[in-house]
Amino acid sequence: MSTLDLLLHGFGVAFQPINLLMAFIGSLLGTAIGVLPGIGPALTIALLMPVTTSLEPASAFIMFAGILYGAMYGGSTTSILLNTPGESGSMMTALEGNQMARRGRGAAALATAAIGSFVAGTIGTLALSFVAPAVSELAFIFGPEDYFALMVLSFTTISVVLGNSPLRGAIAVAVGLGLGVIGIDAQTGQSRLTFGSLDLLDGIPFTIVLVSLFAVGEIIYVASRGPERSSGMNPLSGGIWMTKEDWKRSWKPWLRGTALGFPIGVLPAGGSEIPTFLSYAVEKRLSKHPEEFGSGAIEGVAGPEAANNAAAAGILVPLLTLGLPTSATSAILLSAFQGYGLQPGPLLFVNNAELVWGLIASLYIGNFMLIVLNLPLAGMWVRLLMIPRPQLYAGIVIFALVGVWGLSTSWFDLLLMFSMGLLGYAMRLYDFPAAPVLIGLILGPMAEQQLRRALAISQGDPVALVSTPISATLLGLALCIVVLPPLLRTLARRPAGDDRYAASRPTP
Amino acid sequence: MSAGVSPRPWWVPGGVIAFGGIMLYGAAQLGQSDAHSGVGPGLFVTIIGIALVVLGVALGVQVARGVAFTSPEGEGEYGEVDDEDRTHRGPLLLAIASLAAPLVLMQAAGFPVTAAVVFAGVARAFGSRRPVVDILTGAVLGAVAWFFFNWLGVNLGPFLPLLSER
Repeated sequence: MSTLDLLLHGFGVAFQPINLLMAFIGSLLGTAIGVLPGIGPALTIALLMPVTTSLEPASAFIMFAGILYGAMYGGSTTSILLNTPGESGSMMTALEGNQMARRGRGAAALATAAIGSFVAGTIGTLALSFVAPAVSELAFIFGPEDYFALMVLSFTTISVVLGNSPLRGAIAVAVGLGLGVIGIDAQTGQSRLTFGSLDLLDGIPFTIVLVSLFAVGEIIYVASRGPERSSGMNPLSGGIWMTKEDWKRSWKPWLRGTALGFPIGVLPAGGSEIPTFLSYAVEKRLSKHPEEFGSGAIEGVAGPEAANNAAAAGILVPLLTLGLPTSATSAILLSAFQGYGLQPGPLLFVNNAELVWGLIASLYIGNFMLIVLNLPLAGMWVRLLMIPRPQLYAGIVIFALVGVWGLSTSWFDLLLMFSMGLLGYAMRLYDFPAAPVLIGLILGPMAEQQLRRALAISQGDPVALVSTPISATLLGLALCIVVLPPLLRTLARRPAGDDRYAASRPTP
Repeated sequence: MSAGVSPRPWWVPGGVIAFGGIMLYGAAQLGQSDAHSGVGPGLFVTIIGIALVVLGVALGVQVARGVAFTSPEGEGEYGEVDDEDRTHRGPLLLAIASLAAPLVLMQAAGFPVTAAVVFAGVARAFGSRRPVVDILTGAVLGAVAWFFFNWLGVNLGPFLPLLSER
């Protein structure tokens, strides 16, 4: 069957009444939770995971698709009106959009963000529909050593890309990897690092780590910063919608943002941070009004917001075809797949074609539903932001408790949530990125499995790890990413002496 | 420069090295190689342990050099919170205590009661001055969540274990 037939078949799945309803509920809930300050798409999916417990896998993933895009729409609303981005991908939107809102152009900023997201999401999903099957064919030629090399590359890029310091990023990845080995070893059945605790045999649940690091740790941190100052809420009152001029200034950034976001999202390094920063820089350079940047240029909202949504679609390519998560959001989706006993990868397209194509089709539908919902309903979401801060954060904790206690009503899970929350607080205080922990946690066991498979085939000869052109290239790239930047910096700045990167990475 | 963060937080690299040490200790009790597969269950753990120790030492070097632990641009530019703020000990401890409350309460008192206590505690840590309203809000929110998720098939334990025990 051709891609188009499969996609049409996917639409057949997605248009079943129950699945349409799930896409609708997902979009609605995703926006409602995602609009709360500080809650990004990954946390939204984790918090809403209990809602899907009694659903069929296909319906559940269709709902996740709605939640994902809904949370991204909601996040841009909060970023613009409150200047509180829930994820690094909406930092640029917050920067420029909030300035627009302060100048009474909030409605136009929301509109260009929403329409830009729709344009980018639709083009991105279209590209996903055609790129993903091709990549999944390619993935069949990957041997275990190639997979292992790809994962090593992804660990190193994630360390460098996410957060402000490569060293702290690498530590976050390593902590995640360390947490990931706790429990029963899948291949030998031996228990590892459980130190006699029965509760640790099943390993550390991914959802708990995510909820604790992102919600619990964040709440402790925000509380510790002291009482509220003026919240700086910018209501939509008196705002003018997009003018003809705004449209003229927005459509090119939408397309350029999409063109930047999708390909970078597809890369195993991925993430949505870099494309949004790039898009912002590009728009600033190309704009006829560069002086407006920093004080509310519409291009600075339109471009990054499109890039963010296109990257979100791009991230699904390595996730679905290789089982490789490159952001906190795709890591939680991967854990949801595993929860249903499904392993994303090339075989997913063969064995679960209905589910995959239903999911992709529902991305189109969810995107369409969101633009229809959100242009008129923006005012309603804004009202959610009026909940006073103490009650808002207290409510988020109750949601987090449902997510953790609802897993298996285990006291040990509560203890994990508390201690991981303290870890999250410490990480926030010392500016360690949290997303690499999650990616290490979920990708670690997979990397180990591929490593052991590769070494088993070669009967323990480590040369096997670089024996294919793909694996040698990928590992070479990984080495360059670790070694090159500090080397170049030291060479360039040798006379200056002390700089913060010189000590930041050990040469392996 | 953030005044809430001590300039020489030695315990951070110390913690990373300690975690690496635990990994290495655990790995030492596992086989590093085995006859069939070439690699035993301990090898990967050993690699991670070594990585953590090396990275922890590197972080220790940064700390010794006095490298600041904040983002270069300063979070206050984007976030709702200025990094310049010092840590407020009272709200911090209250938030931590409230988040520890489920450890004591959840099994004994059930979800809605726990929710009421946690809600009121966290709201208070964020500066709310209406404890009675907060307790009631938390209780109602907890009860609604319990019934809603129960209906969805999520088990949140007995509703009020204190009553049902009689």
